[in-house]
Amino acid sequence: MKVVELVEVTKVYELPRGSVKALDNVSVSIEAGGFISIMGPSGSGKTTLLNIIGCLDTPTRGRVAIGGENINGLGDDQLTRLRRDKIGFVFQQFNLIPTLTALENIQYPIILKGLNGHEKKGKELLESVGIDEKLGENKPNELSGGEQQRVAIARALANDPDIILADEPTGNLDTKTSKDILVLLKETNERGKTIIVVTHDPLVADYTSRTFRLVDGRVEDKVRNFK
Amino acid sequence: MIFFKFAKRNLARHKFRSVLAVIGIVIGVLAITALGILGNSVRLAASEQLCMIGNELVVFPYGGGTISEDDFERIEKVADAIPVRSSVDKVILNGESTLVMIYGMRSKDIPKLMEKEDGQFLKHGSLNCLVGSRLADNYELRVGERASIESQKPRIVGILKERGIGFDISPDNAIIISDKMFSSLYDSSTGYNSVIVKVDNIEDVEEVREEIEDRLNKKEEVVMVMELKMIVEGIKELFNTISVFLLGIGAISLLVAGVSILNVMMMSTVERTKEIGVMRAIGTSRSGILRMFLFESLILGAFGGVIGAILGFGAGFLVDVLILKEVSYLFAPSSIFYVFLGIAFGIGTSVLSGLYPAWRASKLKPIEALRYE
Repeated sequence: MKVVELVEVTKVYELPRGSVKALDNVSVSIEAGGFISIMGPSGSGKTTLLNIIGCLDTPTRGRVAIGGENINGLGDDQLTRLRRDKIGFVFQQFNLIPTLTALENIQYPIILKGLNGHEKKGKELLESVGIDEKLGENKPNELSGGEQQRVAIARALANDPDIILADEPTGNLDTKTSKDILVLLKETNERGKTIIVVTHDPLVADYTSRTFRLVDGRVEDKVRNFK
Repeated sequence: MIFFKFAKRNLARHKFRSVLAVIGIVIGVLAITALGILGNSVRLAASEQLCMIGNELVVFPYGGGTISEDDFERIEKVADAIPVRSSVDKVILNGESTLVMIYGMRSKDIPKLMEKEDGQFLKHGSLNCLVGSRLADNYELRVGERASIESQKPRIVGILKERGIGFDISPDNAIIISDKMFSSLYDSSTGYNSVIVKVDNIEDVEEVREEIEDRLNKKEEVVMVMELKMIVEGIKELFNTISVFLLGIGAISLLVAGVSILNVMMMSTVERTKEIGVMRAIGTSRSGILRMFLFESLILGAFGGVIGAILGFGAGFLVDVLILKEVSYLFAPSSIFYVFLGIAFGIGTSVLSGLYPAWRASKLKPIEALRYE
Protein backbone atom coordinates (compact mmCIF):
# COMPACT_ATOMS: atom_id res chain seq x y z
CA MET A 1 0.00 0.00 0.00
CA LYS A 2 1.23 3.46 -0.89
CA VAL A 3 1.15 5.83 2.07
CA VAL A 4 2.46 8.77 0.09
CA GLU A 5 1.75 9.36 -3.56
CA LEU A 6 2.71 12.52 -5.43
CA VAL A 7 1.90 12.66 -9.11
CA GLU A 8 3.46 15.43 -11.18
CA VAL A 9 3.42 17.87 -8.33
CA THR A 10 4.44 21.47 -8.93
CA LYS A 11 4.54 24.13 -6.27
CA VAL A 12 4.93 27.76 -7.24
CA TYR A 13 5.36 30.52 -4.67
CA GLU A 14 4.23 33.95 -5.74
CA LEU A 15 6.75 36.38 -4.33
CA PRO A 16 7.01 40.14 -4.91
CA ARG A 17 10.11 39.55 -7.03
CA GLY A 18 8.28 37.08 -9.23
CA SER A 19 7.21 33.50 -8.91
CA VAL A 20 9.51 30.79 -7.62
CA LYS A 21 9.08 27.19 -8.58
CA ALA A 22 9.93 25.22 -5.44
CA LEU A 23 8.84 21.86 -6.82
CA ASP A 24 8.89 21.10 -10.50
CA ASN A 25 6.80 18.21 -11.72
CA VAL A 26 7.78 15.87 -8.89
CA SER A 27 6.40 12.36 -8.75
CA VAL A 28 7.15 10.29 -5.69
CA SER A 29 5.47 7.28 -4.18
CA ILE A 30 6.34 5.71 -0.87
CA GLU A 31 5.20 2.29 0.26
CA ALA A 32 4.03 1.62 3.77
CA GLY A 33 6.79 0.52 6.11
CA GLY A 34 9.61 2.32 4.34
CA PHE A 35 12.41 4.28 5.94
CA ILE A 36 13.06 7.08 3.51
CA SER A 37 15.43 10.00 3.46
CA ILE A 38 15.06 13.11 1.38
CA MET A 39 18.34 14.88 0.70
CA GLY A 40 19.41 17.96 -1.12
CA PRO A 41 21.07 21.33 -0.68
CA SER A 42 19.20 24.24 0.84
CA GLY A 43 16.70 25.80 -1.52
CA SER A 44 16.28 22.53 -3.37
CA GLY A 45 12.65 22.18 -2.33
CA LYS A 46 13.10 19.69 0.53
CA THR A 47 11.05 21.69 2.97
CA THR A 48 8.31 22.31 0.42
CA LEU A 49 8.11 18.60 -0.30
CA LEU A 50 7.98 17.86 3.41
CA ASN A 51 5.26 20.47 3.94
CA ILE A 52 3.15 18.97 1.19
CA ILE A 53 3.57 15.41 2.47
CA GLY A 54 2.85 16.76 5.96
CA CYS A 55 -0.41 18.37 4.81
CA LEU A 56 0.87 21.76 5.87
CA ASP A 57 0.72 23.02 2.32
CA THR A 58 -1.09 22.08 -0.87
CA PRO A 59 0.42 21.87 -4.37
CA THR A 60 -0.16 24.38 -7.16
CA ARG A 61 -0.57 21.54 -9.63
CA GLY A 62 -0.50 17.77 -9.43
CA ARG A 63 -2.18 15.17 -7.27
CA VAL A 64 -1.23 14.28 -3.69
CA ALA A 65 -2.60 11.36 -1.69
CA ILE A 66 -1.61 10.76 1.93
CA GLY A 67 -2.59 7.48 3.57
CA GLY A 68 -4.85 6.84 0.59
CA GLU A 69 -6.66 10.17 1.00
CA ASN A 70 -6.50 12.79 -1.72
CA ILE A 71 -5.58 16.15 -0.20
CA ASN A 72 -6.16 18.31 -3.26
CA GLY A 73 -8.81 20.90 -2.50
CA LEU A 74 -9.12 20.05 1.19
CA GLY A 75 -9.90 22.92 3.58
CA ASP A 76 -7.89 23.93 6.62
CA ASP A 77 -9.97 21.88 9.05
CA GLN A 78 -9.65 18.71 6.98
CA LEU A 79 -5.89 19.16 6.54
CA THR A 80 -5.62 19.72 10.29
CA ARG A 81 -7.49 16.48 10.93
CA LEU A 82 -5.16 14.61 8.54
CA ARG A 83 -2.11 16.00 10.34
CA ARG A 84 -3.56 14.99 13.68
CA ASP A 85 -4.52 11.45 12.66
CA LYS A 86 -2.19 10.33 9.88
CA ILE A 87 1.06 12.20 10.40
CA GLY A 88 3.55 12.48 13.22
CA PHE A 89 5.99 15.37 13.15
CA VAL A 90 9.52 15.37 14.54
CA PHE A 91 11.34 18.69 14.28
CA GLN A 92 14.96 19.76 14.39
CA GLN A 93 14.30 21.98 17.40
CA PHE A 94 12.13 19.37 19.12
CA ASN A 95 9.28 21.91 19.41
CA LEU A 96 7.63 20.47 22.47
CA ILE A 97 4.95 22.69 23.96
CA PRO A 98 6.71 24.49 26.82
CA THR A 99 3.71 24.75 29.13
CA LEU A 100 3.08 21.01 29.10
CA THR A 101 5.12 18.34 30.86
CA ALA A 102 6.85 15.69 28.75
CA LEU A 103 4.04 13.22 29.43
CA GLU A 104 1.35 15.82 28.68
CA ASN A 105 3.06 16.64 25.40
CA ILE A 106 2.65 13.00 24.40
CA GLN A 107 -0.96 12.89 25.59
CA TYR A 108 -1.94 16.13 23.86
CA PRO A 109 -2.58 14.72 20.33
CA ILE A 110 -4.68 11.92 21.83
CA ILE A 111 -6.75 14.46 23.77
CA LEU A 112 -7.08 16.57 20.60
CA LYS A 113 -8.49 13.57 18.82
CA GLY A 114 -10.93 13.10 21.69
CA LEU A 115 -9.89 9.56 22.53
CA ASN A 116 -10.10 8.00 25.96
CA GLY A 117 -7.19 6.28 27.63
CA HIS A 118 -4.68 9.05 26.93
CA GLU A 119 -3.27 8.62 30.44
CA LYS A 120 -2.31 5.01 29.91
CA LYS A 121 -1.24 5.32 26.28
CA GLY A 122 0.90 8.37 27.09
CA LYS A 123 2.78 6.46 29.79
CA GLU A 124 3.32 3.48 27.52
CA LEU A 125 4.74 5.70 24.77
CA LEU A 126 6.96 7.49 27.26
CA GLU A 127 8.35 4.17 28.37
CA SER A 128 8.76 2.92 24.81
CA VAL A 129 11.11 5.80 23.96
CA GLY A 130 13.15 5.11 27.06
CA ILE A 131 12.10 7.98 29.34
CA ASP A 132 11.15 6.97 32.87
CA GLU A 133 7.93 8.14 34.46
CA LYS A 134 9.62 10.49 36.91
CA LEU A 135 11.37 12.36 34.09
CA GLY A 136 8.06 12.55 32.26
CA GLU A 137 6.79 14.93 34.92
CA ASN A 138 9.33 17.54 33.83
CA LYS A 139 8.72 20.45 31.53
CA PRO A 140 10.65 20.34 28.21
CA ASN A 141 13.18 22.96 29.30
CA GLU A 142 14.22 20.65 32.15
CA LEU A 143 15.16 17.89 29.72
CA SER A 144 18.28 17.41 27.62
CA GLY A 145 18.09 17.70 23.83
CA GLY A 146 18.17 13.94 23.36
CA GLU A 147 15.42 13.44 25.94
CA GLN A 148 13.29 16.15 24.30
CA GLN A 149 13.67 14.49 20.91
CA ARG A 150 12.66 11.12 22.40
CA VAL A 151 9.54 12.74 23.83
CA ALA A 152 8.90 14.35 20.44
CA ILE A 153 9.08 10.95 18.76
CA ALA A 154 6.66 9.53 21.34
CA ARG A 155 4.34 12.49 20.66
CA ALA A 156 4.55 11.83 16.92
CA LEU A 157 3.44 8.24 17.57
CA ALA A 158 0.57 9.19 19.87
CA ASN A 159 -2.29 8.86 17.38
CA ASP A 160 -0.76 5.86 15.63
CA PRO A 161 -0.10 7.74 12.37
CA ASP A 162 0.65 6.31 8.92
CA ILE A 163 3.79 8.39 8.52
CA ILE A 164 6.42 9.91 10.77
CA LEU A 165 7.92 13.04 9.18
CA ALA A 166 11.24 14.05 10.67
CA ASP A 167 12.86 17.31 9.60
CA GLU A 168 16.60 17.19 10.44
CA PRO A 169 15.83 15.25 13.64
CA THR A 170 19.48 15.12 14.66
CA GLY A 171 20.45 18.61 13.52
CA ASN A 172 20.61 19.96 17.06
CA LEU A 173 22.17 16.94 18.74
CA ASP A 174 25.72 15.74 19.32
CA THR A 175 27.01 12.68 17.48
CA LYS A 176 26.35 10.17 20.25
CA THR A 177 22.81 11.37 20.93
CA SER A 178 22.15 11.58 17.19
CA LYS A 179 23.01 7.93 16.87
CA ASP A 180 20.62 7.03 19.71
CA ILE A 181 17.81 8.95 18.08
CA LEU A 182 18.47 7.32 14.70
CA VAL A 183 18.44 3.92 16.37
CA LEU A 184 15.13 4.79 17.99
CA LEU A 185 13.72 5.86 14.60
CA LYS A 186 15.04 2.67 13.04
CA GLU A 187 13.34 0.60 15.76
CA THR A 188 10.13 2.51 15.22
CA ASN A 189 10.39 1.72 11.52
CA GLU A 190 10.99 -1.92 12.28
CA ARG A 191 7.74 -1.95 14.26
CA GLY A 192 6.02 -1.07 11.00
CA LYS A 193 5.90 2.72 10.79
CA THR A 194 6.75 4.57 7.59
CA ILE A 195 9.42 7.14 8.36
CA ILE A 196 10.49 10.00 6.12
CA VAL A 197 13.56 11.93 7.19
CA VAL A 198 14.65 15.18 5.60
CA THR A 199 18.36 15.75 6.06
CA HIS A 200 21.53 16.93 4.46
CA ASP A 201 23.64 14.69 6.64
CA PRO A 202 24.79 11.60 4.65
CA LEU A 203 25.29 9.72 7.94
CA VAL A 204 21.57 10.03 8.61
CA ALA A 205 20.75 8.88 5.09
CA ASP A 206 22.86 5.80 5.74
CA TYR A 207 20.30 4.56 8.22
CA THR A 208 17.47 4.74 5.70
CA SER A 209 16.58 2.19 3.07
CA ARG A 210 15.85 4.64 0.29
CA THR A 211 16.92 8.17 -0.52
CA PHE A 212 15.35 10.78 -2.73
CA ARG A 213 17.73 13.48 -3.87
CA LEU A 214 16.21 16.85 -4.66
CA VAL A 215 17.97 19.43 -6.82
CA ASP A 216 16.31 22.64 -7.98
CA GLY A 217 12.86 21.35 -7.29
CA ARG A 218 13.30 18.07 -9.15
CA VAL A 219 13.84 14.56 -7.91
CA GLU A 220 17.11 13.91 -9.58
CA ASP A 221 17.77 10.29 -8.92
CA LYS A 222 16.96 7.55 -6.55
CA VAL A 223 19.67 5.96 -4.58
CA ARG A 224 19.14 2.69 -2.87
CA ASN A 225 21.44 1.86 -0.12
CA PHE A 226 21.39 -1.31 1.85
CA LYS A 227 22.78 -0.92 5.23
CA MET B 1 -11.02 21.27 28.61
CA ILE B 2 -7.48 21.21 27.26
CA PHE B 3 -7.50 24.76 25.86
CA PHE B 4 -8.61 26.19 29.19
CA LYS B 5 -5.66 24.43 30.79
CA PHE B 6 -3.36 25.92 28.15
CA ALA B 7 -4.79 29.36 28.84
CA LYS B 8 -4.15 29.07 32.57
CA ARG B 9 -0.58 27.90 32.09
CA ASN B 10 0.18 30.51 29.48
CA LEU B 11 -0.97 33.25 31.84
CA ALA B 12 1.12 31.74 34.62
CA ARG B 13 4.16 31.86 32.34
CA HIS B 14 4.19 35.66 32.50
CA LYS B 15 2.79 36.24 35.96
CA PHE B 16 3.85 39.85 36.27
CA ARG B 17 2.42 40.77 32.90
CA SER B 18 -0.85 38.98 33.63
CA VAL B 19 -1.11 40.66 37.02
CA LEU B 20 -0.63 44.08 35.41
CA ALA B 21 -3.35 43.32 32.87
CA VAL B 22 -5.65 42.20 35.67
CA ILE B 23 -4.91 45.38 37.64
CA GLY B 24 -6.08 47.43 34.66
CA ILE B 25 -9.40 45.61 34.64
CA VAL B 26 -9.63 45.82 38.45
CA ILE B 27 -9.34 49.61 38.32
CA GLY B 28 -11.95 49.89 35.57
CA VAL B 29 -14.43 47.62 37.30
CA LEU B 30 -13.72 49.28 40.65
CA ALA B 31 -14.56 52.65 39.11
CA ILE B 32 -17.76 51.40 37.48
CA THR B 33 -18.97 49.60 40.58
CA ALA B 34 -18.05 52.30 43.10
CA LEU B 35 -19.32 55.19 40.99
CA GLY B 36 -22.46 53.25 40.10
CA ILE B 37 -23.18 52.55 43.77
CA LEU B 38 -22.40 56.17 44.65
CA GLY B 39 -24.77 57.53 41.99
CA ASN B 40 -27.46 55.11 42.98
CA SER B 41 -27.09 55.83 46.72
CA VAL B 42 -27.38 59.56 46.08
CA ARG B 43 -30.49 58.94 44.03
CA LEU B 44 -32.00 56.74 46.74
CA ALA B 45 -31.13 59.27 49.44
CA ALA B 46 -32.71 62.07 47.44
CA SER B 47 -35.86 60.17 46.62
CA GLU B 48 -36.22 59.28 50.27
CA GLN B 49 -36.16 62.94 51.21
CA LEU B 50 -38.30 64.18 48.35
CA CYS B 51 -41.94 63.28 48.30
CA MET B 52 -42.46 62.54 44.66
CA ILE B 53 -46.06 61.91 43.83
CA GLY B 54 -46.57 61.74 40.14
CA ASN B 55 -50.33 61.89 39.90
CA GLU B 56 -50.80 65.33 41.45
CA LEU B 57 -51.19 68.78 40.02
CA VAL B 58 -50.65 71.86 42.12
CA VAL B 59 -52.56 74.98 41.11
CA PHE B 60 -51.02 78.30 42.16
CA PRO B 61 -52.43 81.75 41.67
CA TYR B 62 -50.82 83.43 38.68
CA GLY B 63 -48.38 86.13 39.68
CA GLY B 64 -49.03 85.99 43.43
CA GLY B 65 -52.26 86.56 45.33
CA THR B 66 -54.72 83.78 46.05
CA ILE B 67 -57.22 81.50 44.32
CA SER B 68 -60.80 82.58 44.85
CA GLU B 69 -63.58 80.31 46.07
CA ASP B 70 -65.22 80.56 42.64
CA ASP B 71 -62.08 79.47 40.86
CA PHE B 72 -61.67 76.61 43.33
CA GLU B 73 -65.16 75.37 42.52
CA ARG B 74 -64.33 75.45 38.84
CA ILE B 75 -61.24 73.34 39.50
CA GLU B 76 -63.27 70.92 41.58
CA LYS B 77 -65.55 70.32 38.63
CA VAL B 78 -62.62 68.92 36.69
CA ALA B 79 -61.16 66.65 39.36
CA ASP B 80 -60.89 65.90 43.05
CA ALA B 81 -59.34 69.07 44.50
CA ILE B 82 -57.88 69.97 47.88
CA PRO B 83 -57.74 73.66 48.81
CA VAL B 84 -54.78 74.68 50.94
CA ARG B 85 -54.26 77.85 52.91
CA SER B 86 -50.84 78.52 54.30
CA SER B 87 -49.04 81.07 56.35
CA VAL B 88 -45.80 81.41 58.24
CA ASP B 89 -46.12 82.53 61.81
CA LYS B 90 -44.35 82.67 65.12
CA VAL B 91 -45.32 79.70 67.26
CA ILE B 92 -44.36 78.78 70.80
CA LEU B 93 -43.62 75.08 71.22
CA ASN B 94 -42.59 73.67 74.58
CA GLY B 95 -41.73 77.16 75.67
CA GLU B 96 -39.57 77.93 72.66
CA SER B 97 -40.54 80.47 70.06
CA THR B 98 -39.99 79.62 66.40
CA LEU B 99 -41.20 80.45 62.93
CA VAL B 100 -43.28 77.63 61.48
CA MET B 101 -45.29 76.93 58.36
CA ILE B 102 -48.97 76.65 59.11
CA TYR B 103 -51.37 74.89 56.75
CA GLY B 104 -55.10 75.31 56.97
CA MET B 105 -56.96 72.39 55.40
CA ARG B 106 -60.39 70.84 55.39
CA SER B 107 -60.25 68.00 57.88
CA LYS B 108 -61.55 65.49 55.33
CA ASP B 109 -58.62 66.28 53.01
CA ILE B 110 -55.85 65.71 55.53
CA PRO B 111 -55.81 61.87 55.37
CA LYS B 112 -55.65 62.11 51.56
CA LEU B 113 -52.20 63.69 51.72
CA MET B 114 -50.69 62.59 55.01
CA GLU B 115 -50.39 59.66 57.36
CA LYS B 116 -50.32 59.84 61.12
CA GLU B 117 -47.64 58.47 63.37
CA ASP B 118 -49.46 58.96 66.65
CA GLY B 119 -52.81 60.26 67.92
CA GLN B 120 -55.57 61.08 65.48
CA PHE B 121 -56.49 63.37 62.59
CA LEU B 122 -58.54 66.55 63.04
CA LYS B 123 -62.29 66.34 63.33
CA HIS B 124 -64.46 68.66 61.24
CA GLY B 125 -64.14 72.23 62.48
CA SER B 126 -61.69 71.18 65.16
CA LEU B 127 -59.73 73.82 67.04
CA ASN B 128 -56.86 71.43 67.67
CA CYS B 129 -53.76 70.88 65.53
CA LEU B 130 -51.44 68.29 64.02
CA VAL B 131 -47.65 68.63 63.98
CA GLY B 132 -45.11 67.34 61.47
CA SER B 133 -42.66 64.64 62.44
CA ARG B 134 -39.52 66.78 62.46
CA LEU B 135 -41.17 69.51 64.44
CA ALA B 136 -42.30 66.89 66.96
CA ASP B 137 -38.78 65.47 67.15
CA ASN B 138 -37.03 68.81 67.45
CA TYR B 139 -39.29 70.16 70.16
CA GLU B 140 -40.06 66.83 71.79
CA LEU B 141 -43.76 67.32 71.29
CA ARG B 142 -46.24 64.70 72.39
CA VAL B 143 -49.92 64.20 71.77
CA GLY B 144 -51.91 66.15 74.30
CA GLU B 145 -49.54 69.08 74.64
CA ARG B 146 -50.45 72.53 73.47
CA ALA B 147 -48.92 74.82 70.91
CA SER B 148 -49.33 78.54 71.01
CA ILE B 149 -50.21 80.45 67.83
CA GLU B 150 -51.14 84.12 68.09
CA SER B 151 -53.88 84.23 70.73
CA GLN B 152 -54.86 80.56 70.40
CA LYS B 153 -53.50 77.53 72.20
CA PRO B 154 -54.53 74.53 70.09
CA ARG B 155 -53.99 71.04 71.55
CA ILE B 156 -51.79 68.66 69.57
CA VAL B 157 -54.00 65.69 68.77
CA GLY B 158 -51.81 63.94 66.27
CA ILE B 159 -48.25 63.63 65.05
CA LEU B 160 -47.75 63.04 61.34
CA LYS B 161 -45.47 60.53 59.67
CA GLU B 162 -42.41 61.83 57.88
CA ARG B 163 -43.34 62.75 54.32
CA GLY B 164 -40.29 64.46 52.86
CA ILE B 165 -40.00 67.74 51.01
CA GLY B 166 -42.94 67.97 48.64
CA PHE B 167 -43.85 70.27 45.83
CA ASP B 168 -47.44 70.31 47.02
CA ILE B 169 -47.04 70.58 50.80
CA SER B 170 -44.14 69.93 53.17
CA PRO B 171 -45.72 69.08 56.48
CA ASP B 172 -42.66 67.70 58.27
CA ASN B 173 -41.74 71.05 59.74
CA ALA B 174 -45.27 72.44 59.80
CA ILE B 175 -48.40 72.65 61.87
CA ILE B 176 -51.71 71.62 60.29
CA ILE B 177 -54.92 73.20 61.49
CA SER B 178 -58.49 73.07 60.24
CA ASP B 179 -59.77 75.64 57.77
CA LYS B 180 -62.11 76.97 60.46
CA MET B 181 -59.24 77.50 62.90
CA PHE B 182 -57.19 79.10 60.08
CA SER B 183 -60.04 81.53 59.36
CA SER B 184 -60.21 82.51 62.98
CA LEU B 185 -56.47 83.25 63.08
CA TYR B 186 -55.89 84.91 59.73
CA ASP B 187 -57.87 86.86 57.19
CA SER B 188 -58.99 84.15 54.83
CA SER B 189 -61.54 86.03 52.81
CA THR B 190 -59.00 86.47 50.05
CA GLY B 191 -58.92 82.80 49.02
CA TYR B 192 -56.59 79.83 48.89
CA ASN B 193 -52.83 79.83 48.53
CA SER B 194 -52.83 76.70 46.42
CA VAL B 195 -55.06 73.88 45.29
CA ILE B 196 -53.82 70.33 45.04
CA VAL B 197 -55.52 68.21 42.41
CA LYS B 198 -55.38 64.45 42.68
CA VAL B 199 -55.74 62.62 39.39
CA ASP B 200 -56.79 58.99 39.72
CA ASN B 201 -54.93 57.78 36.67
CA ILE B 202 -51.42 59.11 36.10
CA GLU B 203 -52.00 58.86 32.35
CA ASP B 204 -54.70 61.54 32.57
CA VAL B 205 -52.53 64.14 34.30
CA GLU B 206 -51.83 66.05 31.11
CA GLU B 207 -55.46 66.12 30.08
CA VAL B 208 -56.66 67.33 33.48
CA ARG B 209 -54.06 70.05 33.50
CA GLU B 210 -55.15 71.30 30.10
CA GLU B 211 -58.76 71.30 31.13
CA ILE B 212 -58.08 73.32 34.28
CA GLU B 213 -56.07 75.81 32.28
CA ASP B 214 -58.81 76.03 29.65
CA ARG B 215 -61.53 76.70 32.18
CA LEU B 216 -59.68 79.16 34.40
CA ASN B 217 -57.36 81.00 32.08
CA LYS B 218 -59.96 81.74 29.43
CA LYS B 219 -59.82 85.52 29.60
CA GLU B 220 -56.60 86.11 31.44
CA GLU B 221 -53.98 84.08 33.23
CA VAL B 222 -55.49 83.36 36.63
CA VAL B 223 -53.68 80.23 37.70
CA MET B 224 -50.46 78.42 37.05
CA VAL B 225 -50.66 74.63 37.04
CA MET B 226 -47.60 72.71 38.12
CA GLU B 227 -47.42 69.13 37.06
CA LEU B 228 -45.57 67.01 39.62
CA LYS B 229 -45.07 64.29 37.07
CA MET B 230 -42.88 66.59 35.04
CA ILE B 231 -40.85 67.66 38.04
CA VAL B 232 -40.49 64.07 39.21
CA GLU B 233 -39.37 63.05 35.75
CA GLY B 234 -37.02 65.99 35.53
CA ILE B 235 -35.38 64.99 38.78
CA LYS B 236 -35.19 61.35 37.75
CA GLU B 237 -33.61 62.44 34.51
CA LEU B 238 -31.10 64.57 36.36
CA PHE B 239 -30.07 61.61 38.47
CA ASN B 240 -29.92 59.37 35.45
CA THR B 241 -27.63 61.89 33.81
CA ILE B 242 -25.42 61.92 36.89
CA SER B 243 -25.35 58.11 36.91
CA VAL B 244 -24.49 57.93 33.23
CA PHE B 245 -21.78 60.53 33.72
CA LEU B 246 -20.25 58.57 36.61
CA LEU B 247 -20.49 55.33 34.64
CA GLY B 248 -18.84 57.11 31.73
CA ILE B 249 -15.85 57.88 33.90
CA GLY B 250 -15.69 54.21 34.88
CA ALA B 251 -16.08 53.16 31.26
CA ILE B 252 -13.10 55.27 30.23
CA SER B 253 -10.86 53.52 32.72
CA LEU B 254 -12.16 50.18 31.46
CA LEU B 255 -11.40 51.25 27.92
CA VAL B 256 -7.81 51.91 28.95
CA ALA B 257 -7.73 48.48 30.57
CA GLY B 258 -9.10 46.97 27.37
CA VAL B 259 -6.30 48.54 25.37
CA SER B 260 -3.74 47.14 27.80
CA ILE B 261 -5.25 43.64 27.47
CA LEU B 262 -5.19 44.02 23.71
CA ASN B 263 -1.53 44.94 23.97
CA VAL B 264 -0.69 42.02 26.25
CA MET B 265 -2.52 39.57 24.03
CA MET B 266 -0.92 40.91 20.86
CA MET B 267 2.49 40.52 22.46
CA SER B 268 1.57 36.98 23.45
CA THR B 269 0.50 35.99 19.96
CA VAL B 270 3.70 37.34 18.46
CA GLU B 271 5.91 35.69 21.08
CA ARG B 272 4.14 32.40 20.71
CA THR B 273 4.00 32.37 16.92
CA LYS B 274 6.29 29.37 16.65
CA GLU B 275 4.44 27.52 19.38
CA ILE B 276 1.16 28.18 17.58
CA GLY B 277 2.78 26.80 14.43
CA VAL B 278 3.77 23.62 16.27
CA MET B 279 0.32 23.22 17.78
CA ARG B 280 -1.27 23.70 14.37
CA ALA B 281 1.19 21.28 12.73
CA ILE B 282 0.45 18.46 15.15
CA GLY B 283 -3.28 18.81 14.61
CA THR B 284 -4.72 21.70 16.62
CA SER B 285 -7.56 23.32 14.70
CA ARG B 286 -7.99 27.06 14.19
CA SER B 287 -10.90 27.08 16.58
CA GLY B 288 -8.69 25.43 19.21
CA ILE B 289 -6.15 28.26 18.97
CA LEU B 290 -8.96 30.81 19.01
CA ARG B 291 -10.45 29.26 22.13
CA MET B 292 -7.10 29.14 23.90
CA PHE B 293 -6.58 32.87 23.48
CA LEU B 294 -10.17 33.75 24.28
CA PHE B 295 -9.91 31.73 27.48
CA GLU B 296 -6.82 33.72 28.38
CA SER B 297 -8.64 37.02 28.05
CA LEU B 298 -11.67 35.54 29.78
CA ILE B 299 -9.59 34.50 32.78
CA LEU B 300 -7.95 37.94 32.96
CA GLY B 301 -11.38 39.57 32.75
CA ALA B 302 -12.98 37.27 35.31
CA PHE B 303 -10.21 37.81 37.85
CA GLY B 304 -10.16 41.56 37.25
CA GLY B 305 -13.94 41.76 37.28
CA VAL B 306 -14.47 39.88 40.51
CA ILE B 307 -11.63 41.58 42.39
CA GLY B 308 -12.68 44.97 41.04
CA ALA B 309 -16.31 44.40 42.00
CA ILE B 310 -15.37 43.39 45.55
CA LEU B 311 -13.14 46.46 45.92
CA GLY B 312 -15.81 48.63 44.29
CA PHE B 313 -18.39 47.36 46.74
CA GLY B 314 -15.98 48.20 49.56
CA ALA B 315 -15.44 51.68 48.14
CA GLY B 316 -19.21 52.10 47.82
CA PHE B 317 -19.52 51.09 51.46
CA LEU B 318 -16.96 53.71 52.52
CA VAL B 319 -18.69 56.42 50.50
CA ASP B 320 -22.10 55.55 51.88
CA VAL B 321 -20.85 55.44 55.45
CA LEU B 322 -18.64 58.52 55.30
CA ILE B 323 -20.65 60.83 53.05
CA LEU B 324 -24.25 59.69 53.15
CA LYS B 325 -24.00 58.13 56.62
CA GLU B 326 -26.40 55.39 55.66
CA VAL B 327 -25.47 51.80 54.80
CA SER B 328 -28.86 50.55 53.67
CA TYR B 329 -28.48 52.07 50.18
CA LEU B 330 -25.54 49.74 49.61
CA PHE B 331 -27.67 46.63 49.81
CA ALA B 332 -30.52 47.96 47.69
CA PRO B 333 -30.99 45.74 44.61
CA SER B 334 -30.36 48.76 42.40
CA SER B 335 -26.93 49.15 44.05
CA ILE B 336 -26.08 45.44 43.92
CA PHE B 337 -26.89 45.67 40.21
CA TYR B 338 -23.75 47.76 39.72
CA VAL B 339 -21.62 45.00 41.24
CA PHE B 340 -22.76 42.63 38.53
CA LEU B 341 -22.65 45.34 35.90
CA GLY B 342 -19.01 45.94 36.83
CA ILE B 343 -18.14 42.24 36.56
CA ALA B 344 -19.97 41.94 33.25
CA PHE B 345 -18.23 45.00 31.84
CA GLY B 346 -14.85 43.76 33.05
CA ILE B 347 -15.26 40.36 31.43
CA GLY B 348 -16.86 41.88 28.34
CA THR B 349 -14.06 44.39 27.81
CA SER B 350 -11.43 41.74 28.32
CA VAL B 351 -12.95 39.20 25.96
CA LEU B 352 -13.62 41.90 23.37
CA SER B 353 -10.01 43.01 23.56
CA GLY B 354 -8.86 39.42 23.21
CA LEU B 355 -10.99 38.84 20.15
CA TYR B 356 -8.69 40.39 17.58
CA PRO B 357 -5.42 38.84 18.84
CA ALA B 358 -7.14 35.45 19.14
CA TRP B 359 -8.50 35.74 15.64
CA ARG B 360 -5.10 36.74 14.32
CA ALA B 361 -3.39 33.84 16.05
CA SER B 362 -5.92 31.38 14.68
CA LYS B 363 -5.37 32.70 11.14
CA LEU B 364 -1.59 32.16 11.22
CA LYS B 365 -0.46 29.81 8.49
CA PRO B 366 1.18 26.80 10.15
CA ILE B 367 4.21 26.73 7.81
CA GLU B 368 4.93 30.42 8.29
CA ALA B 369 4.39 30.23 12.02
CA LEU B 370 6.73 27.23 12.25
CA ARG B 371 9.46 29.15 10.44
CA TYR B 372 9.16 32.11 12.85
CA GLU B 373 12.12 32.47 15.20
